Amino acid sequence: MHAYDEEAGEGPGPHGAAPPAAQAPAPPAQAAGGPAAPPAKAAGAGINGLSLPYQITAAVALAVIAVGGLLHVGMVFLHVAPANTLSKQHGEAVDDWVLPEFEQNWKLFAPNPLQQNVSVQVRAEIAGRDGGRRTTDWIDLSAEDGAAIRGAPLPSHTRQNELRRAWDFYVNSHTDDNRPNGRRGHLSEQYVRRIAMLRLSERELGGRVERVQLRSSTRTVEAPAWSDERHDTRAYHRVLPWWTVTAADLPAVAGGGRTEARR
Amino acid sequence: MSPRAREETPEATGAKERVDRRLGRAVQRVTATALGPYQSAVVRIGFAGTWLFFLLREFPHRYELYGPDGPWGWDMARELIAGNHAFTVLMWSDSALWFEVVYALAVLGAAALLVGWRTRAASALFLVGVLSLQNRSVFMGDGGDNVIHLMALYLVLTRCSQVWSLDARRAGRRAAGARVRDVAGPLLWAAALPGLVTAVLLRDRSGELWLLVLLWLLWLAQGLWWLAERRAPGQPRALLDVVANLLHNATLAVVMAEVCLIYATAGWYKVQGSRWQDGTALYYPLKLDYFTPWPFLSDLLAASGIMVMLVTYGTVIVQVAFPFTLFNRKVKNVLLAVMMAEHAGIAVLLGLPFFSLAMIAADAVFLPSVFLVWLGARIARGRDRLLNRRRDGSGDGAARADDGERADAEPGPRTLVG
Repeated sequence: MHAYDEEAGEGPGPHGAAPPAAQAPAPPAQAAGGPAAPPAKAAGAGINGLSLPYQITAAVALAVIAVGGLLHVGMVFLHVAPANTLSKQHGEAVDDWVLPEFEQNWKLFAPNPLQQNVSVQVRAEIAGRDGGRRTTDWIDLSAEDGAAIRGAPLPSHTRQNELRRAWDFYVNSHTDDNRPNGRRGHLSEQYVRRIAMLRLSERELGGRVERVQLRSSTRTVEAPAWSDERHDTRAYHRVLPWWTVTAADLPAVAGGGRTEARR
Repeated sequence: MSPRAREETPEATGAKERVDRRLGRAVQRVTATALGPYQSAVVRIGFAGTWLFFLLREFPHRYELYGPDGPWGWDMARELIAGNHAFTVLMWSDSALWFEVVYALAVLGAAALLVGWRTRAASALFLVGVLSLQNRSVFMGDGGDNVIHLMALYLVLTRCSQVWSLDARRAGRRAAGARVRDVAGPLLWAAALPGLVTAVLLRDRSGELWLLVLLWLLWLAQGLWWLAERRAPGQPRALLDVVANLLHNATLAVVMAEVCLIYATAGWYKVQGSRWQDGTALYYPLKLDYFTPWPFLSDLLAASGIMVMLVTYGTVIVQVAFPFTLFNRKVKNVLLAVMMAEHAGIAVLLGLPFFSLAMIAADAVFLPSVFLVWLGARIARGRDRLLNRRRDGSGDGAARADDGERADAEPGPRTLVG
């Protein structure tokens, strides 16, 4: 609305006058956006409006920023591209540049989408108030997540990502016989245990949870009715060992009903 | 100069001059203007809005997601972060109070960025908020969080408040001659200092060095800018403007490249999958319990083999093709509309609203200016109409009296100020 008349070229300071030949072209006129359109910022003096020492500084800045930008895009490209000659030679440099803040993974449902429903289930050994011990049935925590997601326009990350990704984390940091395959193994164990304990705390189990056991139940999605494929849709179980529950396995979620439920 | 160069034909010299002149013009353009004012503004509004919406939606679950005693406990996060050096101020203390403060600041940062109030400071606070919460519990996030994380880093380097922001409104008033007192700026600047100093004192818990340097440089640049405006409005101020434009333009290009990389990766990896090849890929997510908020709708779509195949192939084609269509405006705009529509569909069908919003915000960097200006005008008109209606409804006589008074008073004070 205002500002349009302060066009490029004229330097704001005493040294600002640029040689007329190098005058900047006026930036494309902002299309009139009706009376309510906000004022667009007018162009500044640009490099032509600077005196020589400042022009040199600006040129250096241009070079540094351009190289930095290109380098960054190159690094991110190597990070998301499949392993190749370049990334094999300079993998460490790429990781140093990209990790942790520019880490990204866009293999969304690729190369193939997940074709199985993985349910994480838990059962608990309860020390009853009468002194007796009993073991609960398997409780399907993923089914609870699914029920919470159904009909929800804005599913919570606590339902959609928490348990699902924790289980992925566990599976990826353990061997098939449930031994940690790296330093993160014990973290993933503690994580799934704490999620299970949080979910159990919402239930009235009639006593204190002494031990828990988790398992996953994996069922391949039925083949489409319109295809001639047939899938084995039986559930396959991966059963983890019993874990004794310690104080470190009890998360506290203040402000929610969950803390109260455990008391 | 070599003798051969001297023998150049007049046409060749002419061509060289033309190239030089074009290069000169391009350099002048990227140093004098922050390009894409509407695109950068819509990206700012999109990401700030998505993150703000997310934080408010998860407010009841904030402890479970990021709190010190959530399932991903503070000590566990500390152990993981000791290995990857991710930035999160939540590692400074495991107290619940500190957590509440950080969550509140994240909300405020997102809100300020959304409306473009003190945008540079707001974008820095937004960055700190996003990284602090997301890096605190990395296993809670998904692709949507990932894009927000990246864009939070890029946005601090852009001049994204040139339009559609409170900052732009204030700048407009100042340009019109109104005296605008600047109290909030220096106050914010001073308020940031304790945080920055703490980050240095707790160096080993404050992420990688470059991020700390970036935050300090942003802070120093703000101070420098303020000084230059008052003490050195000539060349130094113009140089700062040039550097700010360069950073903005380069970052906007990086953002565009980033969006292309996202689609290229998503597309090219899909091409290799057997389910994307046989045209059934879409069917499977529609049958996953974690991604079927509306089973009836999912089943409806999954029931038609032809529809599933069309969407499956269409998705791959659009994702692979998108970066190449940037060379043709019309095709680019069509694909952009298709991708935004697909993400809107994903929001509902797969129950991923925040992911979809974030992706649409990222796509928006490629929207044509004409469309954005038109959209802005429409929204402004709608807002004005709504406000007027409310005022009319509040009492006919009062509204009319108010109008009359304003009309009478208008010429007086305005001209005095102007």
